[in-house]
Amino acid sequence: MRDRIVILTVTALFILLFAGLFYNQVVRFGYYSRMSKNNSIRVIPIDGPRGNIYDRNGVKLVSNRLSFDAAVVYQELKNKQKFVHILSESLNMSGRDIMRALEKARARPYAPVTVLEDIDKTKAIMLEEASFDVEGLAIETRSKRNYIYGNTGSHIFGYMSEITDKELDDLRDYGYRMGDLVGRAGLEKQYETYLRGVDGGTQIEVDSRGRETRVIGVKEPMNGRDLYLTIDIALQSACDKLLGERKGAICVMNPNTGEVLALASHPSFDPNVFVVPKSSEDRTALIKDRVGRPLSNRAISGLYPPGSVFKVVTASAALEEKKITPNTRFFCSGTYRLGKAEFDCWKSEGHGSQNMTEGFMNSCDVYFYSIGRAAGVDAVERYAKLYGFGRATSIDIPDEVNGLAPGREWKKHARHSSWFEGDTVNYSIGQGYLLVTPIQVAVMMSVIANDGNLVKPYLVRRIGDVSIHVNRPKHIGLDQRTVSVIGEGMYEVVNNVNGTGKKAKPEGVVVSGKTGTAENPHGRTHAWFSGFAPYRNPKICLVVFLEHGGKGGVAPSEIARGIFEEARKKGYL
Amino acid sequence: MKKRKDFDYLLLIVMFIIFAIGAATIYSATKSRNLPLEESFFVKQLNWMGIGIALLVVTISISYQRFIDVAYILYGINVLLLVAVLIVGHARLGAQRWFSIGGFAFQPSEFIKLSLVLALANYVASKKDSMKEMKSLIVPVMLLAIPFVLVILQPDLGTALLLVPIFFAIMVVSGARLKYLGIMILTGLAGLPVFWHFLRDYQKQRLMVFVNPNIDPLGAGYTIIQSKIAVGSGGLFGKGWLNGTQNQLNFLPERHTDFIFSIVGEEWGFLGAAALVLMYFFIAKRAFNIAALTSDLYGKAIASGIGVMISLQSVINISMTIGLMPVVGIPLPLVSYGGSSLIATVIAIGLLINVGIRRSTF
Repeated sequence: MRDRIVILTVTALFILLFAGLFYNQVVRFGYYSRMSKNNSIRVIPIDGPRGNIYDRNGVKLVSNRLSFDAAVVYQELKNKQKFVHILSESLNMSGRDIMRALEKARARPYAPVTVLEDIDKTKAIMLEEASFDVEGLAIETRSKRNYIYGNTGSHIFGYMSEITDKELDDLRDYGYRMGDLVGRAGLEKQYETYLRGVDGGTQIEVDSRGRETRVIGVKEPMNGRDLYLTIDIALQSACDKLLGERKGAICVMNPNTGEVLALASHPSFDPNVFVVPKSSEDRTALIKDRVGRPLSNRAISGLYPPGSVFKVVTASAALEEKKITPNTRFFCSGTYRLGKAEFDCWKSEGHGSQNMTEGFMNSCDVYFYSIGRAAGVDAVERYAKLYGFGRATSIDIPDEVNGLAPGREWKKHARHSSWFEGDTVNYSIGQGYLLVTPIQVAVMMSVIANDGNLVKPYLVRRIGDVSIHVNRPKHIGLDQRTVSVIGEGMYEVVNNVNGTGKKAKPEGVVVSGKTGTAENPHGRTHAWFSGFAPYRNPKICLVVFLEHGGKGGVAPSEIARGIFEEARKKGYL
Repeated sequence: MKKRKDFDYLLLIVMFIIFAIGAATIYSATKSRNLPLEESFFVKQLNWMGIGIALLVVTISISYQRFIDVAYILYGINVLLLVAVLIVGHARLGAQRWFSIGGFAFQPSEFIKLSLVLALANYVASKKDSMKEMKSLIVPVMLLAIPFVLVILQPDLGTALLLVPIFFAIMVVSGARLKYLGIMILTGLAGLPVFWHFLRDYQKQRLMVFVNPNIDPLGAGYTIIQSKIAVGSGGLFGKGWLNGTQNQLNFLPERHTDFIFSIVGEEWGFLGAAALVLMYFFIAKRAFNIAALTSDLYGKAIASGIGVMISLQSVINISMTIGLMPVVGIPLPLVSYGGSSLIATVIAIGLLINVGIRRSTF
């Protein structure tokens, strides 16, 4: 009887032990198995390099470079003093910063933890050699985005920055990892899925000290796809140089296809600033500059009144609606009366009697007030939209805006007011509620240059081996005579000794174009020039826009001439 | 050998099987050290077993009554050795448990369990008619208390605590009043807070870590977490001999000694681990069988004490590797590397067989 007490107690303990073993090894097997693999299997990622970006001639514009980081493996660190000394000597780092990095490394003693990113190559080699003597020091290499031309073309390429926690939640399934960079603007954003490489990795087995014992498997990384652009980097650089310190935008494109040869916006920025994952002073300055707004692409995101370049639309509306003929004359006394209101021509002494060619050549406001009123607001609005205003051009970079081509309906809804004849007068010369982006003006100009056909501008013509953008120009329904009459008017603008755009006239090629000087509520007038060349059989059309740049006939026209001459040198004209 | 038919061969066979499993596991546990074979723990353990077998033969040949006759002398010598080890012993892993005799590490605390069993058996059997009286418990309590305190001082909490169930098991089979024993247990429990006060810091930490191993995953909790991962990841069939990643990649500390069961669990899975546990249960069962069939209290007490000693030591050891009990450093009988433990256990099994063949059955 008493023996049984001992036997039963021991038996009960064995049963408990059995249950415990069963729970640990059978019920919880999955959990512990995973823990065991996490213990012993590490994946060392191999970056799948992002695709390069090339210009139309195969010149490399954006690529990846090898960058070097100084790192510490805390576990192997023996002499802290020595470590701090050599790093502060060679990298100009303060001892405090290094100690702070070491503190961080203590939490992950087996893995290399970055102390200083992107160090100079020669210093990296020097430290690599020194690391034989300095235990714990490691030099790590990484692939970094490299924008070879710095500020040039920055608004086309955009920039990249570190993925946010929220994005990571959505994108983790697509192979994104913490610390990855994603495209934030421009082509980097638009073509993210093509450019991005697929990371590979080496799966290794490690022991309890994190040392590699064997390689289990290798998954090869996959390169991202390269982009081949329509841009000519030489022309792009020329545009940048011509813009200089001025604020503004330039777009040069082939009016027959929509290929964009150059797209500049100033002030610009250097996308390399964003490659370093930590925020730097340069980056903060870029983001905080509310006045210059260097990150904004003025060519597609800036909204401005077009001023007189819009007279192309007014003329089209009046001619197509048969309200006038090219020879219909209007008299300019310097002022246009509408009831009690007076609207001035830019030339106060007046232009006298004007037909369409003269109206264009002189950019006579009174002439266009008259034909605009003759056409009526509805026709002007309709033709504005046919030319592509009020709607984004769908160029293949993000953040493009629609602009505004107003009309009766719009005013009723947005302003709760009816449309007045005075509004039509302002509309006729590209003022008032009308807001456009520079690239929309370039597209408008391409319609005249391309026999009434509208093209969609684009930047990427090939992704990897696949050509894209088989562009079908769309005829917007203008009479051929309308197109040629407007073209002739714009020929006079540049080629007549009295033309407002005569400064745009280059050597060796005949240009046709239109200037614009747009009043705006923010200060000095915006200055425009938009045109195409050669006059017969155009191959290039462009827009030059200078924010608060004064008169369209001066700086923009001169810049346009510079671009045409440069394009001629490059063989485009 | 009076009764050859009562010789428990099966017990002997199971002992050798467990030892073989232990030796194979020691080989696996120490393989990554790349020691030359003659210096390897595996070969050393085989050598210890050689000595063990010799002593086993001696133990079985001499009647257990002769051991009872010299029980107090053996107990006295063992207590003196425990005192000596505190004075001249070598410290290892923060505890002073052993000293070397002719180059061999000798750990007196491994033998005190056996000495206590013999001394208690001797006392209770000689007083068997008055065991119901309270005063008959005074000497057994003293016999327990002296080595208990000495072992605690080393400090070797695990072995000291193991002495307690051995004591109670012998008291129960000897006919002591359960009421008195119950009072002793309650007094002991009430004294726990005082006991806590005397614990070394690392022992307190181990107990805290038992409650929550994640307090200090890289420090005190590391061993228990890694051990649970090892056993759990073994699953039903195990990762195979020499294939345990926790083992071979060095994630398990003390894995050829106190935590050797983690490797058995990892490499042989639940089936292997359960088989090993069953074999320990078999030894316990055989011990209690022998006790039940023995009419003289000497043999009965010895068999019960040894049964509890081997079974509880294995249950506690295995429980600690899977986090069911706090980490108290005691070896797994016949499996853990270490001469003293192995020899003490082999002698204990020899004594069991001895009682089995020489007992008086009326």
